Amino acid sequence: MLTAKNVTKYFGGFQALKDISFEINKGDIVGFLGQNGAGKTTLMRILTSYLPATSGRVIIAGEDVTKNSLAIRKKIGYLPENPPLYVDMTTRDYLKFAAQIKDVPSKQQHSQIDKVLTECDLKGVQNKTIRFLSKGYKQRVGIAQAIINDPEILILDEPTIGLDPVQIIQVRNLIKNLEYKRTVILSTHILPEIQQIAKRVLIIKAGEIIVDKYLKELFEKQGGQQKVFLRVKGKKDQIERAIKEITNFKQIDINSCDDLHSIKLEIINNVGHYNELTDKISKTNSYILEIKEIESSLEDVFLGLHSTKTD
Amino acid sequence: MSKIIAIAKKELKSYFSSPIAYIVLIITISVFNIFFFMIIDQNREATLRDIFQIMEFLFIFIVPLLTMKIFSEEKLTGTMEFLMTTPTSTTAIVLGKYLGSLIFFTLIIGLTSSYYFIIELFGRPDRLAMLVGYLGIWIEGALFIAIGMLASSWTKSQIIAAMSSYITLFLLYFSISFIKYFSGTAETLIRYIGTWSHAENFSVGLITTGDLVYYVSGIIICIALTKLSIENRLWR
Repeated sequence: MLTAKNVTKYFGGFQALKDISFEINKGDIVGFLGQNGAGKTTLMRILTSYLPATSGRVIIAGEDVTKNSLAIRKKIGYLPENPPLYVDMTTRDYLKFAAQIKDVPSKQQHSQIDKVLTECDLKGVQNKTIRFLSKGYKQRVGIAQAIINDPEILILDEPTIGLDPVQIIQVRNLIKNLEYKRTVILSTHILPEIQQIAKRVLIIKAGEIIVDKYLKELFEKQGGQQKVFLRVKGKKDQIERAIKEITNFKQIDINSCDDLHSIKLEIINNVGHYNELTDKISKTNSYILEIKEIESSLEDVFLGLHSTKTD
Repeated sequence: MSKIIAIAKKELKSYFSSPIAYIVLIITISVFNIFFFMIIDQNREATLRDIFQIMEFLFIFIVPLLTMKIFSEEKLTGTMEFLMTTPTSTTAIVLGKYLGSLIFFTLIIGLTSSYYFIIELFGRPDRLAMLVGYLGIWIEGALFIAIGMLASSWTKSQIIAAMSSYITLFLLYFSISFIKYFSGTAETLIRYIGTWSHAENFSVGLITTGDLVYYVSGIIICIALTKLSIENRLWR
């Protein structure tokens, strides 16, 4: 669907992207993750043909974005970091203008506008001037223009930046609903966002892709060991001795308050024998009050990777 | 073509959603009216020749106010990125924007058509000369708009865009004043580039191929340079 081959971008003497290559398949939901200034926006601008690469190629559906950019742009819906809105227009007029210049056939424009207004929950503000909409609504209008031509690829640059928590949830849900229909590429510097929306992550650092993996694979490989949390009532030394006897668990943390202990264990080799764990602890005349698995967050993985690369 | 019209409509609507357009419109028409009645009262001639010259001079001040936002505002607000990532060619974007501004300018000229009817009511004007005069100020305004649009494509700042337009239009308009300091080819060139001699012919009812070529080629060059200026991000 989308292939980037050895993409490099210079701004004067500054190298913003360094020999980036990746492929995105149809239906993928890919997150570009990186700190501010890592090169995410530049990469997205190259993918949308807004900026040309200094060297390298981007091919979308078999066509080079620089050689056949008008044809490529028909297949793309793009939301830049700041939603590109004509604030003196009403929501409906703006979407009509977007439909007209995005080659939506005139007979379908009305129904298509109604469709995206419903999808983005904008019916209530369709006749309001955009200037007077909240930031969350403006963001949704921006997403609505990006999907007005039913694009095969949706590219969203920091879609939740600057929104309040409620608006963030609304926009994330909207993106989640869109992803079933098309390939989605979104950039963010917010880790949980990737975890909640994307299936695959490209971590970009100083213009280079340092990780390109599906999230599942990433968790398994990097810090993907599952952890177990235990709350136990009993004698601390006896409990610790019992845990040491079990080969599949390794104690990594314990917090005690009188005879109540909160214990964090790591499962070795991703195989945890819970029967053995509960049996051994019970034999010390202790009571297990709570036991649950804790999954590593993307933040753990990211920090792990970041420190690895820095080292 | 439909995209050019869509962009032109948007551009035209944007003029009417901003108070600047109304202020420009009211002030322009008021100033024109004052000059019209002053000139008619003083000369007692059934001609618009003098008022055309006044209009031409005032357009130097008015047109940059209309054109300064054409691209500067889009660059500043980020909507340029939206336009340039839609399946719309740069040519269509530039032509659409130019057309929108030209229609607004034509509206200003249209509002002065009452002068013709007033003169027709009280005298026997040379109708053809008057129509040619109108064509002259319209085509000159069309060139001014193309120059203003080009200046607007250079920068995000509307002030810089307006100042660049003023400098260019002043040079074109007042170049005739400096002609005495030049001779030979330079003199011929300055005389040709300046607007004075070309506008003068139209205002007396004379259409020459040379004048038409001057204005039309000037407009085409400015539109082509605007397109290049918009696409210059490709070389960044």
